[in-house]
Amino acid sequence: MLSVENLSISFHTDEGRITPVQGVSFSVEAGKTLGLVGESGSGKSISTKALMRLLPGNASLSPETRIAYRARDGKTVEIHKIKPGSSSLRHLRGGEIGMIFQEPMASFSPVYTVGNQMMEAIRLHRNCGKREARELAVEMLDKVGISNPADRVDQYPHEMSGGMRQRAMIALALSAGPALLIADEPTTALDVTIQAQVLDLMRGLQRDLGMAMIFITHDLGVIAQIAHEVAVMYLGTIVERGETRDVIRNPKHPYTQGLLKAIPSLETLHDRLSPVPGDIPSPTERPSGCPFHTRCPDFINGICDVNTPVETSPLPGRSVRCWLHNGADSGRSAA
Amino acid sequence: MLRFTLERLAGMVVTMALVSVMVFIIMEIPPGDYADRYAFRKFSGTGVSVTEADVAAIRSDLGLDKPMVLRYFDWIGGIVLRGDFGQAFAFETSVVKVIGDKAWLTLGILLTTLLLTYAISVPVGIYAAVKRGSAVDYGLTIFSYLGLALPNFLLALILLYFANKWFGADIGGLFSTRYQDAPWSLGKFWDLVKHLWLPAVVLAWSAVAYQIQTMRATMSDELNRLSVTAARARGVPEGKLLLKYPARLAINPIVSTIGFDVNRIFSELPIVAAVLGLTELGELLLKAYLDLDMYVAGAILLLLTFIIVFMNFVSDLLLAWLDPRIKLGA
Ligand SMILES: Nc1ncnc2c1ncn2[C@@H]1O[C@H](COP(=O)(O)OP(=O)(O)OP(=O)(O)O)[C@@H](O)[C@H]1O
Ligand SMILES: [Mg+2]
Repeated sequence: MLSVENLSISFHTDEGRITPVQGVSFSVEAGKTLGLVGESGSGKSISTKALMRLLPGNASLSPETRIAYRARDGKTVEIHKIKPGSSSLRHLRGGEIGMIFQEPMASFSPVYTVGNQMMEAIRLHRNCGKREARELAVEMLDKVGISNPADRVDQYPHEMSGGMRQRAMIALALSAGPALLIADEPTTALDVTIQAQVLDLMRGLQRDLGMAMIFITHDLGVIAQIAHEVAVMYLGTIVERGETRDVIRNPKHPYTQGLLKAIPSLETLHDRLSPVPGDIPSPTERPSGCPFHTRCPDFINGICDVNTPVETSPLPGRSVRCWLHNGADSGRSAA
Repeated sequence: MLRFTLERLAGMVVTMALVSVMVFIIMEIPPGDYADRYAFRKFSGTGVSVTEADVAAIRSDLGLDKPMVLRYFDWIGGIVLRGDFGQAFAFETSVVKVIGDKAWLTLGILLTTLLLTYAISVPVGIYAAVKRGSAVDYGLTIFSYLGLALPNFLLALILLYFANKWFGADIGGLFSTRYQDAPWSLGKFWDLVKHLWLPAVVLAWSAVAYQIQTMRATMSDELNRLSVTAARARGVPEGKLLLKYPARLAINPIVSTIGFDVNRIFSELPIVAAVLGLTELGELLLKAYLDLDMYVAGAILLLLTFIIVFMNFVSDLLLAWLDPRIKLGA
């Protein structure tokens, strides 16, 4: 339903132009969850913001970027071409693609009630009156497990606890009935027990509503629980992607291997990822060749630091960007 | 909101009571009273020698011989119960007659100035923040510096020159002679507008420059909030989004300084009025105070402080309405 090809994002900053996301391609199938995992600054958030054209004014997409979305009415929307301020963009935002953010407190406006913000979304995307919208909002709050939803709907965000706020945020994003939900680290700001509850909730809702989902996290353990497919990002490129189970069982890229090695067992998975030795370079000083070569244990001198690896497919359903695997079927780029 | 309003209203009443006491004390501070002044004026140069008894008679005539506390309650009671601000001794009529017109003129100028200030600076500040870094934004910044650098009286002189050239000489005062005593009509209202815009523009000038920068800065901050991105991600149309989310919070520092703006306008008004040939309250206040015409001075002081206190009350209510967390005590 969503296919992203060659997504590159540049920012014009005072220090010059930086391109923190380069040549990212992935796709999401209806009803399935794609997990997007990577260290801080690898470009996960901006890549997904690009899908809703939410990037700030100093950002631009490269001309090669293609983002195609198949809407529920069967029409394909070319998101990279869509005009800012157009009605199709407004319909896409919220109505087709919903988004949940890392900070549940900050993503609500503090000066309107939760119900006000939910009803706004509902009335923008569903053809209904005020009372109906309110009923729907209460129903949604109930669905995400908030008790006394008829009272809670009139509360301000600061009157709720962190976990409840994130549930309300989920209800808000889902209230307009999107077909694809982007969840940008929705559990990072919550404590561990609440994290597990929210994760459970999201998995349940996704199954019940038949939505597709892009789930961003630092945590491969969370990915293992929720995602059908996974894409591992490093410094603005996807270094490996494939089915979650296959990738976890048999990682091909040294970076994925490093991430997995740092996890002692799949049951105790709540640490942030910083397992691979060395620091992540800043996007302003991107290493030449393979961006990971400065930290790679299998670094091949003279190749990895000179040429950028292309995407290859060492196994069916898997793509990897690494010179170690280019020998096997060199040059054959996986779509 | 009702409880909050009542609380603030009670606060305003208490403040005004204290202010009235202070005003009364200030009026008592200068040595002597109007009885001395009156006796001196009436008999100086006539060769008649004035005795203590004569002055005392005048004093009791004017009611100035009663104890201060009693006079305070007479005074404030008359104001609150009957709208009677006492006698204007030097004018030999009531205070209300003396200051009435000038008070309305001052109030008219004040409200027009405030309206003009906010009607320009808020939308322009929002626009500059949204178009941050564009040519328009830089242009506005330069205008702001100019606005702050140009002295009020100079601007008044320049505008006066052009106003005379385009609208004729009759620009001082609140109305043209033709409408002075005419009943209210569209023509009279238009006449009022024609007279108010000049002082309002002069007084609003620097405030506009300053508040554009304030609005631009807070709006830029608010635009970067996640809640704004979140609302955009829900598909809220951009225009509605700007007003409903960031602007509502960004306007806070402007609303909370309404009282300061009023204060500043009052202190700048006399010089602007002098240049434009308007007679407003400030000038009269000074004259009355020097003349020991205490009820005129008192009424003016009370009126000016009341306006400031009242505008602060309005600003409090607006703030609470803009940000419900304030009245919820969060
Ligand atoms: N407004 C901006 N202006 C300039 N550069 C930006 C801007 N926003 C993001 N970037 C750049 O994009 C990079 C990736 O940012 P992004 O927020 O997508 O990372 P992330 O993978 O989501 O990290 P995290 O896990 O910490 O959320 C940042 O390191 C930064 O250099
Ligand atoms: Mg992020």
